[in-house]
Amino acid sequence: MEERREIQSEDRAGIRVNALRKTFQPAGVVACDDVDLDIASGELLVLLGPSGCGKTTTLRCIAGLEKPDNEDAITVCGRNLRGVAPKDRNLAFVFQTTALFPHLNVRRNISFGLDMKKSLGREEIARRVERAAGLLKIDQLLERYPGELSGGQGQRVALGRAMVMEPDAFLLDEPFASLDAKLRVEMRTEIKLIQRQLHTTMIFVTHDQEEALTIGDKIAVMNEGVVQQFDTPHNIYHRPANLFVATFIGSPPINLFTCRVEERGDQVYLVSSLFEAAVPQAYREALRKTGDELKLGLRPEFISIGGVAGHIAGGVELIELMGSRSQVLVDCKGEEIRVQVQGDHNIREGEKVQLSLDLEHGFFFGPDELSLL
Amino acid sequence: MAQNYTRVGAFQKIISFAVLGLVLALILIPYAYIIATAFKEPGEVFETRWVPEKISLQAWTDVFEIFAFHQFLFNSLIAGLGSALLAVLISLPGAYIFARKKFRFRETFFYLIVGTLVFPFILLIVPLTIIWIKVGLFNTFLGLWLAFQIFAVPYCVWILRGFFAQLSPHLEEAAMVYGCTQFQAFYKVMVPLAKPVVISVLFLSFLYGWSDFLFSNMLTTGGGPQTASVAIYIATAGGERIEWEMLAVMTLIAGVPPVAVYMLAQKYLSQTFATAV
Repeated sequence: MEERREIQSEDRAGIRVNALRKTFQPAGVVACDDVDLDIASGELLVLLGPSGCGKTTTLRCIAGLEKPDNEDAITVCGRNLRGVAPKDRNLAFVFQTTALFPHLNVRRNISFGLDMKKSLGREEIARRVERAAGLLKIDQLLERYPGELSGGQGQRVALGRAMVMEPDAFLLDEPFASLDAKLRVEMRTEIKLIQRQLHTTMIFVTHDQEEALTIGDKIAVMNEGVVQQFDTPHNIYHRPANLFVATFIGSPPINLFTCRVEERGDQVYLVSSLFEAAVPQAYREALRKTGDELKLGLRPEFISIGGVAGHIAGGVELIELMGSRSQVLVDCKGEEIRVQVQGDHNIREGEKVQLSLDLEHGFFFGPDELSLL
Repeated sequence: MAQNYTRVGAFQKIISFAVLGLVLALILIPYAYIIATAFKEPGEVFETRWVPEKISLQAWTDVFEIFAFHQFLFNSLIAGLGSALLAVLISLPGAYIFARKKFRFRETFFYLIVGTLVFPFILLIVPLTIIWIKVGLFNTFLGLWLAFQIFAVPYCVWILRGFFAQLSPHLEEAAMVYGCTQFQAFYKVMVPLAKPVVISVLFLSFLYGWSDFLFSNMLTTGGGPQTASVAIYIATAGGERIEWEMLAVMTLIAGVPPVAVYMLAQKYLSQTFATAV
C-alpha cells in the first residue's frame, strides 16, 4: 500500500494558478487581481494576508466554490479545471467552521466523500477511515456526533474527511483560527508532519504570520487582491519585496525610519531626524542610484541597546517580557522604537539608553515602496 | 417590617392565583360542558346540570350510525394529509431557494408570498369557487388540497426559509466538494438537517387541512369530500331540533386527532420555534 502511495505521489503534478481574477458582482469588488501561483507537487503553500486580502477567495476559486472571471485560470495536475464541478476536481477542502454534517456521526462524516463516490467497497472505505482516524488520533470518537466534539476534535474530523479522499491537494481555509493558542500551535505541527508523511500538495490559508512562517514551504503574501511576494519563508522574512511585506511580517513589528541619502565624498550616509549613519559597503551602489527619500526598515532584533556612543539616544518607556526574549519600547524624541533583547537583561524602565542600528540587516524601500536591494 | 413583607407576599400570591384560576376557567369550562353534554340523553340537554342524571352513550353510537361521521373523519384525514404533503413538497425547495440563491427581486418576491398571509382569505372564496367549478376541481380532494396551499405554502416557506438561512453555507459547499451535485447537497444534507422543521410544518399544514371550514364548506357538496368540520356545521342546520348531544360528540371526536398529532410533533415544534423564526 505504501508503495502504491509513493508511485502516486511521483506522478502528481502541482497546482498552477494563472493570472486569476475574481470580481464580485454587483458591487464590482475585485477580490483577486492577477494572482499567479505555481505550487510544486507535494509542496505546502501558505496564502497569508490580512482579512479581506483575497486569500480565501483565491482558495475557493481553486476549489470551484467561486467562479473566477477567467475560468481557465486553474490547472491541477496538468488538467485545466474550466467548467469542472467542485466534486470532480479531486481536491479536498477544510473549512474554518469545520462544516461537519451535524446529522451524521464522525465515521459517516469522514466517509461521506467516499460513500458518494460509490467506486470503493465497504471494506476499503472502513480501512481508510480507520487509518485516517488513527493518524489524527480520533479513533475513540468515531461513533460520536459533531455536536459532541470540542473545537480541536471537530477540526481533526474535518481533516480526516479530507484525508480519506486521497486528493490531489488539500485546501485549508484558516482551519485553526477558532482554536485556542496552545492547541493551534500543536495542530500546525501535526498538520505539517501529516503533510510530509502523505506527501500531498497543500494550500493553507491563514492571517497568522507566525503560523505561515512555521509551516510553509512557500508563502504567498497577499494584500488587496494582489500577491505581494511569493517566496520561501526565509526570504519573506529576511528579504521582503516591499514595504507591505516588511511591515506585515514580524512580531514585534519592524521599525521604520524615513531617511535621506547623502553622498559625502566616497561615503554614502543615511540621514534621518534621529540619526546619521554610514551605509554599509554592500548597499552603497544600490542606494546611491535612488532619489534622496527612502524608508529604512529594521527588525527589533537588529537594534541593540547599550554602549556609550550609539546612533540614537532615548529613554526606555516600557519593557515587555516575551519569554526567552524581551521587547523594549524606547522613546526617541517622540518616536517609538522597538528593540528586542535577551530575556535576562538589566534594563530598567525610565533609564536613558543608547541604541545601535545594524544596517547590514536593514531593508531599504524607495518612494514606490518596493525594495531597493 | 419582615411581617409586613410576608403579608404583601401572601396577598400577591392570592391575586395571581385568582387571575390564573379565572383564565383557566374561561378556557376549560366550555370543554367541560361539551364533555358533559356528550353523555346526556336528548331530553336532558337543556338542563344546566353538570353531571347527567343518567349517563347515556346514545349520541356516541348515533353519530356513526345515523350521521356516518366516520366517513367525514376519513375525508378530513385525506384532506389534512394531502394538504400537508403538498405544502412541504412545494415549500421545501422554494424556501431553500429563497434562503440561498441570489437573484433579482428575491426579497420582493419573498415578501409578496409571505405577505399573502395577511390577505383576508374570505375574499377569495367566491372567485375560487367559480374557477374550481369551471376547471373541474369543485368537490374533489385535489381541489381542497390546492385551496389549502393558499395559506399553507406561504406559511411553510416563511418558517423553512428562516431555518435554512441560519445554517452555514459551508455545509452545502462541503457536500459539493465531497462528491455531491448541488441538488444532492440539498437532499442529502439540507433536508435531513431540516427534519424537525419539516415535521413541524407537516403538522401545521395537516392541522390546517383537518380543521378548515371555509374552503371545505364552499368547495364541496353532498356526496363529495366533505370534511368533519363541514359535517358538524350541517348537523346544526338540518332537522326540527338541533341535536346538541351529537354535536358535542362530533366536536370531541374531531378534536382528538390534532391533539394526538400535536403530542407526537411537540418536541419538533418547540425546536423549530426556538431556532428558525
